[in-house]
Amino acid sequence: MHIVVLVKPVPDPASGGERLGADGRLDRASAPAVVNGNCEYALEAALKLAAASEGSEVTLLSMAPASAPETLRKALAMGATRGIHVTDPVLAGTCAVSTARVLAAALKPLTFDLVLAGVDTSDGLGGTVPAAVAAHLGLPLLSYASRIEPDEAAGTVRVRRISATGYDLLEAPMPAVISCTQALGEPRYPSLKGIMAARSKEIATRSLADLGIDPSTVGGAVATTTLIDSRTPPARGATEVVRGSPAEGAARIVEFLAQRRII
Amino acid sequence: MGELWVVGEPGADGGLARLSAEVATLARDLGAQGGRRVAGVVVAAEPEMIATELARYLPTILAIAEPAAVEHAWSAIAAARVAGLLEEHASEPPDVILVGAGSDGRDFAGALSALTGLGVLTSATAVAWTDSGPAVEMSPFGGKLLTTCGFTGGRGIVTVRPSVADAVPGDTTGVVETRQASGPALPPVRVIERTSEAGAAAPIEEAKIIVAGGRGVGGPDGFGLVGELASELDGAVGATRAAVDSGWIGYSQQIGQTGKIVKPDLYLALGISGAIQHKVGMQTAGSIVAVNRDPDAPIAEFADLLVVGDLFEVGAALLEQLRARSG
Amino acid sequence: MVLASPASARPMLRSAAVISSSQAHGPYQLSEEQRLLRDAVRELADERVAPRAADIDRTGEFPEDLRRLLATQDILALPFPEEHGGLGGELLSVCLAVEQLSRACATTGLILAAHELGALPLLLAGTPEQRARWFPRLASGEWLIAFALTEAEAGSDVAAARTRAVRDGDQYVISGSKRFITHGSVADLVTVFAVTDPEAPRHGRLSCFVVEVPTEGFSVPRVEHKMGIRGSPTAELAFDNVCVPVANRVGDEGDGFGIAMRTFERSRPGIAAQAVGIAQGALEVASRYATERRQFGQRIGDFQMVAAMLADMDASTEAARQLLYKACVEIDSGAPDAGRWSAMCKLVAGDAAMRVTTDAVQVLGGYGYIDDFPVERMMRDAKITQIYEGTQQIQRLVIARALLGKDRAPLG
Repeated sequence: MHIVVLVKPVPDPASGGERLGADGRLDRASAPAVVNGNCEYALEAALKLAAASEGSEVTLLSMAPASAPETLRKALAMGATRGIHVTDPVLAGTCAVSTARVLAAALKPLTFDLVLAGVDTSDGLGGTVPAAVAAHLGLPLLSYASRIEPDEAAGTVRVRRISATGYDLLEAPMPAVISCTQALGEPRYPSLKGIMAARSKEIATRSLADLGIDPSTVGGAVATTTLIDSRTPPARGATEVVRGSPAEGAARIVEFLAQRRII
Repeated sequence: MGELWVVGEPGADGGLARLSAEVATLARDLGAQGGRRVAGVVVAAEPEMIATELARYLPTILAIAEPAAVEHAWSAIAAARVAGLLEEHASEPPDVILVGAGSDGRDFAGALSALTGLGVLTSATAVAWTDSGPAVEMSPFGGKLLTTCGFTGGRGIVTVRPSVADAVPGDTTGVVETRQASGPALPPVRVIERTSEAGAAAPIEEAKIIVAGGRGVGGPDGFGLVGELASELDGAVGATRAAVDSGWIGYSQQIGQTGKIVKPDLYLALGISGAIQHKVGMQTAGSIVAVNRDPDAPIAEFADLLVVGDLFEVGAALLEQLRARSG
Repeated sequence: MVLASPASARPMLRSAAVISSSQAHGPYQLSEEQRLLRDAVRELADERVAPRAADIDRTGEFPEDLRRLLATQDILALPFPEEHGGLGGELLSVCLAVEQLSRACATTGLILAAHELGALPLLLAGTPEQRARWFPRLASGEWLIAFALTEAEAGSDVAAARTRAVRDGDQYVISGSKRFITHGSVADLVTVFAVTDPEAPRHGRLSCFVVEVPTEGFSVPRVEHKMGIRGSPTAELAFDNVCVPVANRVGDEGDGFGIAMRTFERSRPGIAAQAVGIAQGALEVASRYATERRQFGQRIGDFQMVAAMLADMDASTEAARQLLYKACVEIDSGAPDAGRWSAMCKLVAGDAAMRVTTDAVQVLGGYGYIDDFPVERMMRDAKITQIYEGTQQIQRLVIARALLGKDRAPLG
């Protein structure tokens, strides 16, 4: 199988440093870049699927600023075969709609069985890109996967999709696009051998010209959305801390709930 | 002046999803603010029941029958049909298309944006009207920031978070108009079966009170106490990722960055440290009460009330006192 | 006792300045690979090892789960050559990993350090056949290897070992016992040093063998209860006519002592790395505490006496670290005074770890004495770094010998 995993470098959420720049766009220098958490889960799922099927390969695809290869190394160290990095200064500030179009254009010339993506990213939380990419490519979308079971002989894939009350079992022919949840399983730590091997794995660069995309149709200048205003949320107020016996603590809770008319 | 469209999603029981009723109410108020007409759109195998339900909230409902929706994933079908509908309305297109920000809604928004080139503003916590179109409030970066965004072309798709608006029926019942399916189709995805998991009652996003357990609960047995407290308070049981990953409770109860985002009136956190990944899922709750052995746990920074102590001892005492109170 | 290796006897009348200049070998710099490695092990240590450390100490149980983790992450492959599934065996790389692991848990850092120690005789003197036979499974971490030299009556006095290996046709029969053997009860291979020629001069009596266990006649009568590194099993090994094929002898008969000394040259930095890691871990806990704990209306870290302690702790740890890294590079590039570098880095790091951890407990005061905080464990863990793989006193002998040379007076 050939599986392509969409991977997005994002400012490290654990650093707490994420912020917007003066232009209202995400300031990508505000924190060190890491691979988006949900993308790692997608990658882990891809690696497991590839391991189960002889001769399989996993390709990373990322639309990201020029510094991305450094961030992609960890993903390569986890075991991906190679990377494709779409980059162009014009792409800065591109909105989700155009991002999906660019990713679809990068996928079009490739032959693959599955495209895996995280359900959303920590710096955007939109969650619309996988569906948009599938629509652009005319491929079925199986989303919010908690389990992925391809049947190579039949050329189909079955996915457990998390629903409000449990899960649905979906099926579609391959090639297909699958958005992945964390229920698929914790991403592996790159082994030391993987880290060393990653240094010689290929990351191919693609420009907008390579993808046949008109630069005037992407980038911050033509983004479909714009920031009007931003502010920090109001503080919640001081925390009341209660120590003492369990009975005393419980009593204060009951009093608090009554005061706020919750009970 | 363009209309506002609300896309009604099918709920788990075959009727209208509660989130769609909330979005419809929000859209109705928004329309009133901006002097715009509001219409609902329903795409389903047998749209009558859902459309009738949505008509309690909106004056006009456009209902499209799509037999394939019986056993195929909804979002791709709905997006294609709404795209077709938009083509039919090309001379007077709606300015805003609203849908819930659940998984189906996000998939729908993504597919529709690809088909139409319309921008998407996601997980809205409020929508207001300005001269240049809708102003959508969102909270990125785990809630560290509140942003207001708009569409550069004044038109776009908005997904709306659960519990942002209450579902309030309108004064009159709207009219349902049947429309024909048109436009190209997206590849259908067959739904082979739907499974409900034990213990996943009403979706946790709708609960007004949530009692949640974290790593401190220690095991599946500990969740017994959590459940009893939830029962006593007439609320739902939630959990952190640590508890779910350890297998103590199902994923449908998980709250946080990788689970559900909730906004109950009361969030009672037992043995939860309050790390950022969980915080983003519940920090906008009306009241946050935490019980934790560690007075320096991150949750101490944003809880309204922190009781320092053993969650089982405090929890048992609380249960006893609540029961005594209700007689 | 005499421990100087032949090489370090050479710089007899040279001045200290000439001895200490490392001419050919130049300054060191961590390569990109080494930085990646260090960061990867650090992340693993923080996320998977640290949460287990207190429990390992409390229960005194060998952390099988972490041993498996080190294996799957290829960390146990670090000492071995690539051709056998290893990662190349650079001393600095091994030490970087030991340091990062020990920062979180000294027992876990020791898993790698002891594995390397046990394998060193083979790395230094094994035949291609022996290496091909054993290295792949040692590199994969499927097997652990322990180093069995010390005996009840032969600690610092290594050459006084009494375990006997008698040649009998195409095998040796080994009888005797070993004491204080790290991993002795969990290893699959044991590198044993036994007397093959009781009549030979002191440094020619011993030979080195690899014993595959379990095997008939081999038993583990006892595992010690220790002050620190409590999760690391320290065992007494009994050999009751254990038969071992000639093909399992490492080097020639009589080579044992020399192999042991050359082993220590490369293994002592591993202990230094453990010590630096322990010190760093303690420093981090104490520093954080000093910024959070408030007394008399301010952070205790702002009181000069506390600040001075922390500053000394930081400088000590860094000095030990830099000496260690430099020593690794010197030893790996074949410096003639490798023994001196090896002894120095272990001496400095071990003493630094003891000092830094003791001061860390002091900074935390009462809280440092109870097990709510890890510094009391780190202090107990640090002590062993002044004792094993050559006591600090032995290290000093080695360094003095390198500095002063042997007495050229006629033998008397």
